[in-house]
Amino acid sequence: MRTLVWSAIAAFALLGVGMAAAQQAQTPRKGGTIRMTGPYAASFGSLDPHVTPRAQDQIVNQAIHRPLYTWDTANNRLALELATDVKASDDGLVYTYKLRNDVFFHNGRKMTADDVIWSYTRIMDGTKGYPGARYIRVIKGATEVEKGQAKEISGLKKIDDFTLEITLTDRVEPGYYLFSGTTAILPKEEVEKGNFAAHPVGLGPFKFKEHIPGSRVVAERFDKFYKPGKPYADKLEVLIMAEAAARDVAFRNKEIDTSILGPAQYVAYRADPELSKGLLEVAEMFTRAIQFNPSFKPFADKRVRQAFNYAIDTDLIIKRLVKDKAYRATSWLPPSSAAFDKTMKPYAFDQAKAKKLLADAGYPDGFEFELTTSQNESWGLPIVEAIIPMLAKVGIKLKPKLVEVTVLTEIAMKGEHQAFIGSNLTGPDSLATLRCYYSKTPRTACNYTSFSNPQFDKLLDGAAQESDAAKRNDLLRQANNLLYEEAPVWFFNYNKAVLAYQPWIHGLQANPTEITHQYPEDVWVDTRSPAK
Amino acid sequence: MLVVLVRRLANIVPTLAAVIAVIFLLFSVLPGSFVSAMNEDGRTTIDPAVMERMRKEMGLDDPLPTRFAKYVAHTAMGDLGTSFRTREPVTKLIGNRLWPSLKLVFTAMAFAIVVGVPLGFIAALKPGSVVDTISMVGAISGLSLSQFWLGLMLMYLFALKLQWLPSFGYGDGGLRYLALPAIALGVGPMALLARTTRAAVLEVLNADFVRTARSKGMSERRVVEWHVLRNALVLVVTTIGLQFGSLMGAAVVVEKLFSWPGIGSLLVDSVFQRDIPTVQGCILLIVTFFLVINTLVDMAYVAIDPRIRYR
Amino acid sequence: MRGGLSLWVGGTLVAVALFVAIAAPLIALTDPVMGANLMNAEIPPGLEFPFGTDAQGRDIYSRIVYGARISLTVGIVSQVCNSLIGVTLGLTAGYWGGLWDDLVSGITNLMLAIPSLIFALAIMAILGPGLVSLLIALGLTSWSYSCRIARAQVLSLKSQGYIQAARILGYGDLRIMFTQVLPNILGPLIVIATLGMGGAILAEAALSFLGLGIRPPFPSWGSMLSEAREQITTAPWLSVFPGLAIFVTVLGLNLLGDGLRDILDPQSTTRRGA
Repeated sequence: MRTLVWSAIAAFALLGVGMAAAQQAQTPRKGGTIRMTGPYAASFGSLDPHVTPRAQDQIVNQAIHRPLYTWDTANNRLALELATDVKASDDGLVYTYKLRNDVFFHNGRKMTADDVIWSYTRIMDGTKGYPGARYIRVIKGATEVEKGQAKEISGLKKIDDFTLEITLTDRVEPGYYLFSGTTAILPKEEVEKGNFAAHPVGLGPFKFKEHIPGSRVVAERFDKFYKPGKPYADKLEVLIMAEAAARDVAFRNKEIDTSILGPAQYVAYRADPELSKGLLEVAEMFTRAIQFNPSFKPFADKRVRQAFNYAIDTDLIIKRLVKDKAYRATSWLPPSSAAFDKTMKPYAFDQAKAKKLLADAGYPDGFEFELTTSQNESWGLPIVEAIIPMLAKVGIKLKPKLVEVTVLTEIAMKGEHQAFIGSNLTGPDSLATLRCYYSKTPRTACNYTSFSNPQFDKLLDGAAQESDAAKRNDLLRQANNLLYEEAPVWFFNYNKAVLAYQPWIHGLQANPTEITHQYPEDVWVDTRSPAK
Repeated sequence: MLVVLVRRLANIVPTLAAVIAVIFLLFSVLPGSFVSAMNEDGRTTIDPAVMERMRKEMGLDDPLPTRFAKYVAHTAMGDLGTSFRTREPVTKLIGNRLWPSLKLVFTAMAFAIVVGVPLGFIAALKPGSVVDTISMVGAISGLSLSQFWLGLMLMYLFALKLQWLPSFGYGDGGLRYLALPAIALGVGPMALLARTTRAAVLEVLNADFVRTARSKGMSERRVVEWHVLRNALVLVVTTIGLQFGSLMGAAVVVEKLFSWPGIGSLLVDSVFQRDIPTVQGCILLIVTFFLVINTLVDMAYVAIDPRIRYR
Repeated sequence: MRGGLSLWVGGTLVAVALFVAIAAPLIALTDPVMGANLMNAEIPPGLEFPFGTDAQGRDIYSRIVYGARISLTVGIVSQVCNSLIGVTLGLTAGYWGGLWDDLVSGITNLMLAIPSLIFALAIMAILGPGLVSLLIALGLTSWSYSCRIARAQVLSLKSQGYIQAARILGYGDLRIMFTQVLPNILGPLIVIATLGMGGAILAEAALSFLGLGIRPPFPSWGSMLSEAREQITTAPWLSVFPGLAIFVTVLGLNLLGDGLRDILDPQSTTRRGA
């Protein structure tokens, strides 16, 4: 009898625990600490979001500050963040925003239209090189401020405290320009105190607590955040860990909650039955490619460039070297773009065809060229080393020229390269991305291949004028496909970002613009987390 | 004594000035610039107009003599300039990293002294014995190791396989995090100290005055303690000083490997990001550290053995 | 350890390294660059690949064998360069004295104050990665020691009157330097050069690790080590063998240098035995 009673009690207890556990998995728990990692550099640049364009800094800045728009990861499109409504004029140049009236800065003051105007004006300060200027420039009157000809941006008009009218210089979607962290809205009085980078004050879900240089940033929940009930966690820590191997160790030791995986760790985690359950994968908006300079005679011929694409076993490199941590590129635009053509077939691995194309172009014995590359493991030296033997088989002799990234950038902008390999941002604004291949775009802007094709230009002009989204995407798709056929580059891959996460962290978003740029107000940790 | 110290320290200034000039010229010919280095992570885009502004803001396009003059003037007043990367004063940036660097260097040196000196001492007392041979083989092996490889192997064994210690980073700054980097950094100096101590002790043991003391009937132990120690100390102290002085510069590799937030890793990162003011500030600090320690060693040298006078 | 033993052991190790470097094409299994086969990526050491393969599918053993060429070239050439510079400067400084001596001494102090790794790093950053840049960077930054020795020797001979005597005999300056001074410092010079070779090989490893070493895709032990770092958890054998190769070679050079020191430079303070 007694055993029966005890068993019953035990059974109920187990049931209770089971239900509690199930509950944990469903309702976000308020409290705890989120421990994210900053994997791209060994330190933070600046906690003033206007000052730094670096991806690593944005991880922190996204928690403490916010711009006007954000990226809706669930629906893969732009979303208004600091406004509730926007109305566009018929000519598509004037946008009227109804700002939220419940946004507070961390110092207690409410945000108004004045703050938006002040922030954007600060960014256009001509004596400073604020990276956000390239985005704010799309607002009418911004260039005049930059050049010192005006004190205020004429295209920014305050209707009242919570209504703002923005006039643009071109028919573009302003969200693509105003969702960058470099256009965040900052409180004027705090910035003017002078110590802003050391003690940032923003309007995001977490407020700044401390920064240990070279180590980590700690932020605490801001209770007056405008999304009720959020953020869930009490504390957010961003720990600097630039080494993939180091992150691997820390993750397995449960010292961090998320970790960006490199190719080697991707293989190991996928093979591990436990670890493989916590992998978030997303195709990012970066296209890796070798860009050819047509001023080097062989590359002026389309057949040579296509031969390149046929001669390299790209799938093998992705599978073996990059360990499947990438998607084969079948165009310049990434799969997340609305103009991406899913039916496009990639260049086949066909060395016989490559040799024939080379012979047709007048290089039956191949040729020699210099490829400028950096040390980067995903789009640099190791890739180059892998393609050397492949190209050798069709007679192309590749001489690698290893330089630092800074030198590579300068070489590319000056056009001193014969070819270089790199990673290029190809989203989320597809039109702006394809503009790089517009004949009038200078090499210094991003037209490193000096591409000039009248048919392509026409498609792009048409897309810029087109107001119907579906028709515009169709034109962009044609342009994108044309680009693939013209092969101004060797199309390598789109990056697959893989974020490993612990079983106790929930709410992580598959953000294709940058997976480490999480919106931490939606993230929560359950009680299994070892961090308090 | 204090006057002499101050005078000696003042002697450093010309060397320091020359170093500043050489470093400035050296880094002004570096290809690439901060603006083009911003895309290092492959995820940052920056447009040419902004790059132009940044170049102007940072004075990158001013002619060389202007930049040099400005730099010298500012440095003389203690202003090391503003970091390109964080737009904060370089002194602040370095100040943040100074304590971790010092901690690492001091701990490594302590390890080297605590292990190396007794080792060399014991080896010298029994020359040709098994102990001697093993110690010296160990020492010469320690000098032949690549610091980076040693660090990597230590990390693999103690952090990854055995999981006794964390594998990287500063953590809370405690001994657990300090252990592996300090050992990796300290093995080289330890080996050198062991050899030097052994040689110094041997040299002295065979010197005349020791024979004299022995013949006078002093007990072996007292002979060893009193005379040997004191005279061997000179050479050992010199070696300690020289090693210590150059340790901050040598710590670059270890700091990078273990992600230790010290001056060395700041220097390397800044070189790659072309954050020139920070680079110059770091080198200035490392060189000053070296010169000051050297001066102190010279003074200690004289203090220990008053018979030695500088020529 | 008796001088003889370290001489023999060191000499043997160095001879083995030299042999491997010279005979590389004969004893390697595959071509270190073209022998890449991605299908063979990251295979642990075994029968077919005695040291395993790297991420590109290249045989590590073959790359280590060819890597010996680079490492030894770096070691030897840079040290020869350093010795030439150091001896020339030191000899002339001590011999002629005066302003030239002051200048050389000043520069030597400067070189000693700036950490050599950082100086080499700066030069590599200016010249760009590559074997030639590396030789320049390492060959121009470690001559201070040999300079000091040469200068001290000249001064010592001067004070003993040998130089004076030779001049009276009508010997020209150059002849004096070559016949009187040089033979006396040859011993310590060889020792410094031998020990310096080990240092140069270690420096190459450090520079490659920091990202400014040998140009790809040629194998150097240092760049192999730096490539292996990422894979330390998944493919640890990638780090072991290049590191061992460096260790064994540098150890050999150090032992050799020690042994030579006992023979050629009896006045040095690290004497062995009573």
